[in-house]
Amino acid sequence: MKSKSLVFAIAAVLVIALTSIGALAATKKSTIRVEGMKCAKCSGSVEKALKATEGVEKVEVSLKEVVVEYDDQKTSETKLREVINATGFKAVEEKTGSQ
Amino acid sequence: MIRTQKIILLAALLLCAPLVALGQESPAAELSLKDIEGRQIRLSDYRGKVVLINFWATWCPPCRTEIPDLIRLQREHGDLQVIGVTYPPQTLAEVRRFVRKAKVKYPVGLGSKKMMALFSQSESLPMTILIGKDGRIKDIIEGILLPEEFEQKIKPLLK
Repeated sequence: MKSKSLVFAIAAVLVIALTSIGALAATKKSTIRVEGMKCAKCSGSVEKALKATEGVEKVEVSLKEVVVEYDDQKTSETKLREVINATGFKAVEEKTGSQ
Repeated sequence: MIRTQKIILLAALLLCAPLVALGQESPAAELSLKDIEGRQIRLSDYRGKVVLINFWATWCPPCRTEIPDLIRLQREHGDLQVIGVTYPPQTLAEVRRFVRKAKVKYPVGLGSKKMMALFSQSESLPMTILIGKDGRIKDIIEGILLPEEFEQKIKPLLK
């Protein structure tokens, strides 16, 4: 009975550990410079559109750039740039790589 | 005495908070303004239609980007009425030029901060006030109108 519980506990720990490793491996962070976000009143559209994109986990918008954390199994930086461009602003270049 | 006033003010603010939240589904304030051709626009004239009051500005990139979608929605849905209201600073000449170039067919008028404050305390642009056929505010959509928002919030009201 004891050994059964031990096996179950080890299996559970392994499943949780592997799931966490998998989840971490899929999370990327990109900093995208955006042109034209001079208007603080309008920059909310970028955050809104990115947050509505499947795979996006976290968005931080400033007047010059956007920092996005996303699941690279579900979306890509190219797609994120397209989303930004569709809001009327222009994603210009990749500032830093993924983490 | 000052302490009592502070308590009253705090209580009033606390009481007002739920009322602000309840702003949605409340009857829309009467909006009345002249369009860029000098014709009167009255929100009450569109009772029985779903109305989108779109606050925008020519200097706001997302506002400009969503205008072709609003033109299309106006063209495709007979029981929908879009009203464009600009947010300052904005000149009549700039708005006329933009409206003609973009071929905006729905009424557009020069608005003010006060007009937007009739519906929301936020100053986000664009901002679209969704009003049902019953004249009540159904939603306040801040930022660019996403396709899924049209499907979830506007389309059901058009049936």
